[in-house]
Amino acid sequence: MVLLSIDGVECRYGSIKILENVNLNVKEGDFVGIIGPNGSGKTTLLKCISQTLKPHKGTVLLDKTDIYSIKSVELAKRMAVVPQESNIGFSFTALDIVLMGRNPHMKRFQMESGKDMSIVKEAMLRTNTWQLAERPINELSGGERQRVIIARALAQQPTVLLLDEPLTHLDMINQLEIMDLVKELCIKERLIVLAVIHDLNLAARYCSSLLMLKGATVFAAGTVEQALTSKNIKSVFRVDAIVRKSAVTNSLYVIPLTPQKICSPRNCSIHVISGAGTGTLTMKALVDEGYKVTAGVLNMLDTDYETAELLKIPTVSEAPFSPITEESKQALREMIKRAAIIVVTSVPFGYGNLSNLELALEATIRGVKTYVINEMPLEGRDFTSGKATTLLSEMKRYGAIFVDHPSELPTLVNATHDVIKMRKPSALDSGHLKRVSPEQISTK
Amino acid sequence: MSIDQVETKYSKRSSKWKLILLALIATLVVAIVLCLNIGFAPISFSEILNILAKQIPLVNNSVDPSTVSTINESIIMQIRLPRVFAGAIVGAGLAAAGVMYQGIFRNPMADSYLLGASAGASLAYTLAILYSGSLAMTFLGTGIFQFVAFAGAVITVFLVYFMSRVGKKVPITTLLLSGIVVNIFLLSLQTVFELRSGKELHGIVAWIAGGFTNITWISIYTVFPFVLVGTIIAYFYTKDLNMLSMGDDTAQHLGVNTERVRQILLLIGCLITGAAVSISGIIGFVGLIIPHMTRLVIGPDHRILLPTSTIVGAIFLILCDSLARVATGASELPVGVITALSGTPFFIYLLRRRKTMYSL
Repeated sequence: MVLLSIDGVECRYGSIKILENVNLNVKEGDFVGIIGPNGSGKTTLLKCISQTLKPHKGTVLLDKTDIYSIKSVELAKRMAVVPQESNIGFSFTALDIVLMGRNPHMKRFQMESGKDMSIVKEAMLRTNTWQLAERPINELSGGERQRVIIARALAQQPTVLLLDEPLTHLDMINQLEIMDLVKELCIKERLIVLAVIHDLNLAARYCSSLLMLKGATVFAAGTVEQALTSKNIKSVFRVDAIVRKSAVTNSLYVIPLTPQKICSPRNCSIHVISGAGTGTLTMKALVDEGYKVTAGVLNMLDTDYETAELLKIPTVSEAPFSPITEESKQALREMIKRAAIIVVTSVPFGYGNLSNLELALEATIRGVKTYVINEMPLEGRDFTSGKATTLLSEMKRYGAIFVDHPSELPTLVNATHDVIKMRKPSALDSGHLKRVSPEQISTK
Repeated sequence: MSIDQVETKYSKRSSKWKLILLALIATLVVAIVLCLNIGFAPISFSEILNILAKQIPLVNNSVDPSTVSTINESIIMQIRLPRVFAGAIVGAGLAAAGVMYQGIFRNPMADSYLLGASAGASLAYTLAILYSGSLAMTFLGTGIFQFVAFAGAVITVFLVYFMSRVGKKVPITTLLLSGIVVNIFLLSLQTVFELRSGKELHGIVAWIAGGFTNITWISIYTVFPFVLVGTIIAYFYTKDLNMLSMGDDTAQHLGVNTERVRQILLLIGCLITGAAVSISGIIGFVGLIIPHMTRLVIGPDHRILLPTSTIVGAIFLILCDSLARVATGASELPVGVITALSGTPFFIYLLRRRKTMYSL
C-alpha cells in the first residue's frame, strides 16, 4: 500500500508563513482535492510535496521515505506534476514534450526505445492528443497544451500525480474528460492524486476527499460531505453558498450567492413569498441591503427554504410536497403583519401554495407596499386554472407594483423604504398597520 | 504526413541525426580545404592535398616530394592551416556556448557573451597592453596577453554568477540582468581606458574587433582542448537542456538536477568562450545566430542541436574569415563585420520562411 504522508509541514517566504502545521495522509486510490481561496497555500503545498520547496518544518514521506532524501530522478519515476502554467521556451512538438516524460526511466545516452514510444502513444491517446503529435507545442490552444502536459505526466508512469489547477484553460468537455481520466487512473491504477481545484462542483463530483485550506492552515479535511458545507464555504471563501446534493450526479454541488455586502442594518421587515429557487437571489439581495427578511410558506428541501436557512431568515415552513395547512397559514398571517413591504417572486402557483398569494393580497388591500416580480409569464406558471392570475390582478388593482426583473427590486425597495421612513417611521417594523380580516376581503 | 507514420519517423530519428552529422563533418573538411586555397600565393588544390597528406604518418610515403614546394608547404602549414583551424575552433566554441546559454536562459537573445565574457576579456586585454609595459612581453611572449584575456573573461563570468546568488540558488532572471549590467559597466571602463591610451589604441580596437591574424600553433594547442572537452561534456547534458526549456520546476519534476546542470554548463560555456576570445578577440554574432539558424532547420532538440551548431559554427567562421582575408584587397576587414554582414540576410530569410514555426 503506497502512502503519502504530510506531517506538520510549515513553509515560509521570509517571515510570512505560507503553510503552517499541515497534516495529511493519502493512500493509493485516493483523489484529494485541495481547495481554498487565492493565497491560502495550495500551490505551495504541492511544491512542498514535489521537492520544489523544502518545508521549514515537518516532513513529507512517500512510503515512509523522506521525499527530500530521494534523488530527483528517482522521485520523477514515482511522482509526476502538472504545473499551473507551462511556458515552453522552444518549439518542441507535442510528441517531443510527452517523450520527455520518459526521461527519468532512461539512461543518459539512451534514445527512446519502442517501449517508451508505445507508453507515450498510449498516454497521448488517453488524453486525446495523439493527433497533435507533430504540432509545435507553442501553436496549440491552452486546452490542447494542458492535455499534452497531462500526457507527459502519464508517460512518467507515476504512482503519485500532482495537478495544480489542471482545469484552468479547459472548456467543459475537456474538464470532464480530464477529470474522468484522472478518476479512472485513481481507481484502476491505484494512483495517489492531489489536485488543486478552484471549481468546487468538479472537486465535489470527482474527488474522494477534500483538503480545505484557509490562511496557511488546514481549515477542514475529510470526505466531500464533511468538508464542503455552507458553513465552511462561508468561513473560507466569505461567500454565502447553497450546497445541495444533485440527484443526477449523486454528488454535492455548490451554488454561490453574490458576495456579502457590508450594509448597515435597516429597521424594516420585508416578507418574501417565493419557492423553487425563485426567491434565492431576492432574499440575498434584501439581506445584503440590511433589511429584516422573512419568508414563507416554503416547503422544506426547497432551494428557497435552504437559502432562508443559510441566511438565517425566519421562515414558515411546510413538509416537502405538502399543501399549506391552516396552521401554517395562521403563522404566515402573523408574520406578514410585521412586514412593511411584501415581495412576491415569479414562483409557479399550484393549489398547494395558493394560500401564500391570498394572504399577500390581504396585506396589499391593507395598504402594505407590495412588489410582484413578473419575470416569467404568468400563463406558464399558473396551475390553478386562473385563480392565481385573478389574485395577482387583484393585487395590481390595489396598488401592487409589478417588476420585470429581480435585479430592479433593491433600488425600488430602497426608495419605498426611504419614503415610508420619512412619513411614518413607526410603520416600518410593526403590527401597527390597519388590520383587515379575511372576511372583509371576500366581501369586496 | 499521416499520424500513423509519426512513430516510424521518430524511431528512425537517431539514424537520421547520425547522417546529418556525417554530412556536416564532410562539409567542414571540404570547407577547410577550400579555404586553404585562398590567399595571395596561388597554391593548387592538388598541392594542398599533397602537403596535407605529407603531414600524416603512413600516408606520407606515397607523396612525391617533388610536387611540393617548401615555401608553399610553410605557407600552408604555418600560416593558412593554423588560421583556418583557429576559425573552426573559435566558431565551434562560440556556437556551442551559444546553444548552452540559450538553453539555460530559455532566451533566444542569449549568446556566448551574455555574462560579460567579451567585456571582461577586452578590459583585461586593454589593461595588460596599457600597463604591463614591454617587460611582461619580453619575458613571457605574446602568450601572456592571451592568458590575460582568458582570465578576464572567466573572472567576469564568475563575478556575475556569484553576484546573482540568492541563498543556494541562482535565479536565471537575476543572472541575465547582472550579466547585462556588468557588461555595460565594463564597457564604460573600457572606453575610459581607450581614451587614455595613445599609440596603443589602434592595436586594442583591432583586437576587440576580432580576427585571426598572427595565429600560431601554440594558440591552437591551448584553446582546442577547452572547446573539444567542453563540448563533449556539454553533450552529456543535452537531454537536460531540453527539459530546462520548460522551466526549472518542470525540469526538476522530470528528474533533472537543475542547479547542478546549470552550474556545469555555465562553467563550460564560460571556459569555452574565454578560450575562444583569448585567441580571436570579440567575434560577435556567431554565438547568437548559429544556434538559431540551426534550430530553425533541424528543430529544438539539444541532442542534435548542440553537435550540429558546433560544426555549423566552425564552417561559418572559416568561410567568413576567408572572405575577410580577400574581400578588400590589401587591408583585412574584421571578421566580426563579415559574420554580421553575411549572417543577417540569411537569418532573416530563414526567420521569414519559418515564421509560423518559430514562436518565441
